[in-house]
Amino acid sequence: MTYRMGVDIGGTFTDFALIDDTTGELTIHKQLTTPADPSEAVLDGVATLLKRRAVAPAQLGAVIHGSTLVTNAIIERKGAVTGMLVTKGFRDVLDIAMERRYDLYDLTIRFPTPIVARRRRRQIDERLDFSGAVLQPLDAGEVERAAAELVEQEGVRALAICFLHSFVNAGHEEQAREIVARRYPELYVSTSADVFPYAREYERWNTTAMNAFVQPVADRYLGNLEGGLQRLGVKGPLYIMTSSGGTVTTATAKRYPVRMLESGPAAGVLMSAHHGRTLGLSNILSYDMGGTTAKGAIVRGGQPHKTYEIEVARIHHFKEGSGLPAKVPVLDMIEIGSGGGSIAELDDRGVIRVGPQSAGADPGPACYGRGGKRPTLTDADLLLGYLDPDFFLGGKMKLDRAAAETALELGLAKALGVDVTRAAWGIHEVINEDVARAFRVHASEKGFDYRGCSMIAFGGSGPMHALRIARKLRIPRVVLPTGAGVMSAFGMLVSPLSFQIARSNRVGYAELPRERFAELFAGLTREAAAFLLRAGVPQPEIRVTRRLDMRYRGQGYEIEVELPDELDLSAAFERLPQLFGESYARIFSLSYLQEPLEIVNWKVEVQGPTPAMSQHFHLALEHQVGAPEKGRRQAYFPEAGGYVATPVYDRYALRPEVTIGGPALIEENESTCVVGVGDQVTVDAAGNLVTEIAQEQVREAAA
Amino acid sequence: MTTFDPVTLGILWDRLISITNEIVLTVVRTSFSSIVRSYDLACVLFDAEGRSLAQGTFSVPVFIGTAPQTMRHMLAKFPPETLRPGDVIVTNDIYMGTGHLWDVNVMRPAFHDGRLIGYAMSITHLPDIGGRGFSAVNVDEYEEGLQIPIMKLVDQGRLNEELIAIVRQNVRVPEQTVGDLMANVTAVEVGCRELVAFMEEYRIDDLRPLSQAILSQSERMMRRRIADCPDGVYRNRIQVESVGDPVTLACAVSIAGDRLHVDFSGTSPSVPYSINVPLCYTRAMTCFSMKALLLPDIPNNEGSVNPIELSAPVGSILNCQPPAATAARFQIGHFVAPLIFGALAEALPDRVQADPGMMNLLNVMGRRRDGRDFTTLYFSSGGFGALLGYDGTATTPAPSNMAVVATEDWEATTNIRVVRRELRADSGGAGEFRGGLGQVVELVNDTGHPLTVFGMGARTDFPALGLQGGKPGARRLYRLNGEAVSAKGRHEMRPGDRLEMLESGAGGLGEPSRRPRQKLLQDIAEGFVTLGRAKADYGFDLAMEQSGKAAE
Repeated sequence: MTYRMGVDIGGTFTDFALIDDTTGELTIHKQLTTPADPSEAVLDGVATLLKRRAVAPAQLGAVIHGSTLVTNAIIERKGAVTGMLVTKGFRDVLDIAMERRYDLYDLTIRFPTPIVARRRRRQIDERLDFSGAVLQPLDAGEVERAAAELVEQEGVRALAICFLHSFVNAGHEEQAREIVARRYPELYVSTSADVFPYAREYERWNTTAMNAFVQPVADRYLGNLEGGLQRLGVKGPLYIMTSSGGTVTTATAKRYPVRMLESGPAAGVLMSAHHGRTLGLSNILSYDMGGTTAKGAIVRGGQPHKTYEIEVARIHHFKEGSGLPAKVPVLDMIEIGSGGGSIAELDDRGVIRVGPQSAGADPGPACYGRGGKRPTLTDADLLLGYLDPDFFLGGKMKLDRAAAETALELGLAKALGVDVTRAAWGIHEVINEDVARAFRVHASEKGFDYRGCSMIAFGGSGPMHALRIARKLRIPRVVLPTGAGVMSAFGMLVSPLSFQIARSNRVGYAELPRERFAELFAGLTREAAAFLLRAGVPQPEIRVTRRLDMRYRGQGYEIEVELPDELDLSAAFERLPQLFGESYARIFSLSYLQEPLEIVNWKVEVQGPTPAMSQHFHLALEHQVGAPEKGRRQAYFPEAGGYVATPVYDRYALRPEVTIGGPALIEENESTCVVGVGDQVTVDAAGNLVTEIAQEQVREAAA
Repeated sequence: MTTFDPVTLGILWDRLISITNEIVLTVVRTSFSSIVRSYDLACVLFDAEGRSLAQGTFSVPVFIGTAPQTMRHMLAKFPPETLRPGDVIVTNDIYMGTGHLWDVNVMRPAFHDGRLIGYAMSITHLPDIGGRGFSAVNVDEYEEGLQIPIMKLVDQGRLNEELIAIVRQNVRVPEQTVGDLMANVTAVEVGCRELVAFMEEYRIDDLRPLSQAILSQSERMMRRRIADCPDGVYRNRIQVESVGDPVTLACAVSIAGDRLHVDFSGTSPSVPYSINVPLCYTRAMTCFSMKALLLPDIPNNEGSVNPIELSAPVGSILNCQPPAATAARFQIGHFVAPLIFGALAEALPDRVQADPGMMNLLNVMGRRRDGRDFTTLYFSSGGFGALLGYDGTATTPAPSNMAVVATEDWEATTNIRVVRRELRADSGGAGEFRGGLGQVVELVNDTGHPLTVFGMGARTDFPALGLQGGKPGARRLYRLNGEAVSAKGRHEMRPGDRLEMLESGAGGLGEPSRRPRQKLLQDIAEGFVTLGRAKADYGFDLAMEQSGKAAE
């Protein structure tokens, strides 16, 4: 039992990473995703890879799996027929939603259709007040009648039970669940206090509705997968990756499938953190850019930042606010609608805008030669010489340079009155600036000083832009890790079992007895730890992290305060005002305020041990390589005066300790690293490209 | 002079916008009142001469173009050479600010290497400013509350404690009001810090060439869009309910080449209630309307609205003079948008939206069960107007923009119980493209104390009109304990009293008979349109439908 495998399902490919935990040897496999039943590709790939490395299924200690299944089911609305029981008077919470335009001037803004149709939402006579006291007891007969109608007339297979103030008192929701379960034991039921006990009904109910909607799908899928793995002879457990960067058992995943949203990108961030720890870099910007979007995340002190909000299925130009909000524990990521396929155009101001509209895979960028006429980032990168028309995807696809040139000329350069090269450079720089800007805003929100930290970059388009973005942010070092094409599958191999519970419970600090503080945390910790104990993690190996959302009484937004590990609860309680003050000053500025403090949300995270992954894991060499320098081609570097004959290296042929000075291009199958003038790349022992960024040409980057 | 090529300009410009957005986030996250969290605020950066560089993306239309004027007044009082690092200037002057006393304008100069290089300004709506309270029934500005002339709130880092003491003494909720003032101080500090970092990063010594380039580029784009519109004079005249008799708003939009002028001649005079509109607000709403129609994607910016000229008779309700009361200026001012849209409906048939149901604002003053006093606002929206190709969305504010107050938060903060909040069936105006639905909100005073509420809801007499044959939306209605009451008055709610607010629907667009059957059937199935109205408005016949189905 010395092997483990990470499996990540993406839109196009399913990625596999097999590690031999004794030797640290890693093997990668990719095959096309099977959208109709994604478990097909997973099982096929597992078998293929085991066979290729001559590993017996019984030697596989665990399979760790992340999937876009849940995200896709919500985007494509391919969940189960779902019903909802809600507090009387509040049937329309999902329609009324936020009552806010996310774009002030756009008269065509759209909002997503509620996840549960209005006619499948039934009102139940029951009511709690804000303190959890019962104003109107639950009408059991009404619950039975409503459930019967939904199941028998509407064909509902999943049910969300959502009552007001249930995060304070879950009694009515639980009673309703029991009533429904007695009559319809096969019905999938989610209650809002169980899915996520946070205040604000729209977000909590919407999250619960999504959970119910995907539950039958996730249950069947995970069941198929478990069965299939057993038939293959795999004896080790199947763990499921969640949005928070931790894994859970399949039982937990089936209960809270909404926690699987965006688990693939989360695993990528987790891998960045792991690389950071291995390389001794504790503060990191993780940057992942593919074909349609870019994702960024902050890793501070070796730990990715966590949050409890995510928006999925944006329906109007990727705009924030046009999607469905979910309250689940997630690794805090920014998403930018920029990738290789992003279309460049002139905006209303007459300046270049790139994305969020994307040419996708079909027709794709103009240079794909599939009929795309509009200029994209990939077209620009081709014209700038960063991409080799004959070595795209390792040569599997030819790019049409003339088509790219025409698209840029007609779509942009002519209107701007500049030549094609200038327009191409403009597109390239706009993307760099967009990503840098998103990082800046995100970092300032989190009070994170990125200058001096390191960037870890991956994804098909990431390495082409990372070094210049780092330069803009004055980040001195960029690491392009080995096997960057399957970062998420790798990330699953370093993900611990974990579970998070967060509960709204608003109390004044001055009014809170110390014992009550300890009691509340102890209760949440027990609740969370139960998930790990059931998965077989021994109690002493469970690590607990406690966080509070706090504010001055009267403020509407909270800031997060993490209780230091080394303090016991009593000491932490004493130091809360100081801890809050420090966090406040870090994010905003010193406060002039003397208002009383208030605790709003209580959060506990429990974590099992992080799987031991060999410090010196390395890719198994499965094919022959030639000379490191493959040749030279003309590539655009403004600091060097324009197009220069630039050496092109084969990444697979670079041995440790080799150093390369920019300008240079380093190619691998999935991506190309663009090394700017003055940048220095060193290959480390694990095959990572570690780049020191030249810092003096900041002005040229802008002008 | 430095010139910028379009590539560089776009990059620097976007960066400045992201700084203003950061200021906005800071205000929102450090504020003490729910109204700021509803984005009733604005943040603007200026160059050393007080010309605007960028404005935050998120703000309500009220603030478009007011900040540069406020800046000029502030610099007239405190010339740049007298300003020192750590100074913060403040005012809530009605005519130099944004048109009512509740909006506080806070400005801080930014220094770099000892030189004044620019300014940051933050504007928010305070929860209370004393006086009779935020309502539509004040008679003059002296009743409305505390007036803060342009003065220093912070003098070289030293807080003006006297001013703070005066504010504290004058308002009902001193922690919230002073807390929000301080949120603005924090925000402009963050803004100045970021502005300096921006200059260092790009090695820019002087922001003026950049502001010049941004302003002229924006202005050029706006002129181009105006020139694309057919020349002509487009008129409209609407009746708007007031506290007393209805008032008339009139406009003539003249387009000639790349010039646009809006003349509000024919508009009724000011009234002795606090719904009068200062010209700065009329201008902001005019700019909002033109920008939404012609140039929606361009960032908030002084240059883009410079080409828009306007005039309104002095002393009219759209150009009121001191001491007119202006607290609820939006009650009339918001109608500038549908007024102008209506005028241009035929010239721009694919861009003009039918009338929105607009939002309702309820100012609530009372005491919680635990004895703590509160003053706060409840927002609820009517429907969004239909547009060619688009049904109006339900419960969407317009032309202003606020965010929902979650029932769970509201009940915990005020102890006022929300009995129901549901879509109002049939309230959306019928049409090929249906108007957005309003909602019904019912509140009950569970606080155990008496409660004073000021309603500020429009469309009780005149509904949201449809376009191109579309029908009007349902009107707004207030009911107290089942009896119809004014939506613009002051009401006392005893413990146990119930207030229902039926929010107005929006106008539809296009003949109802042209609505595709599938969409109508879906409206009926979801309960957005009842069978009765489907028959009356759309000629839908259930019996015929069923026999038709049987025949298929």
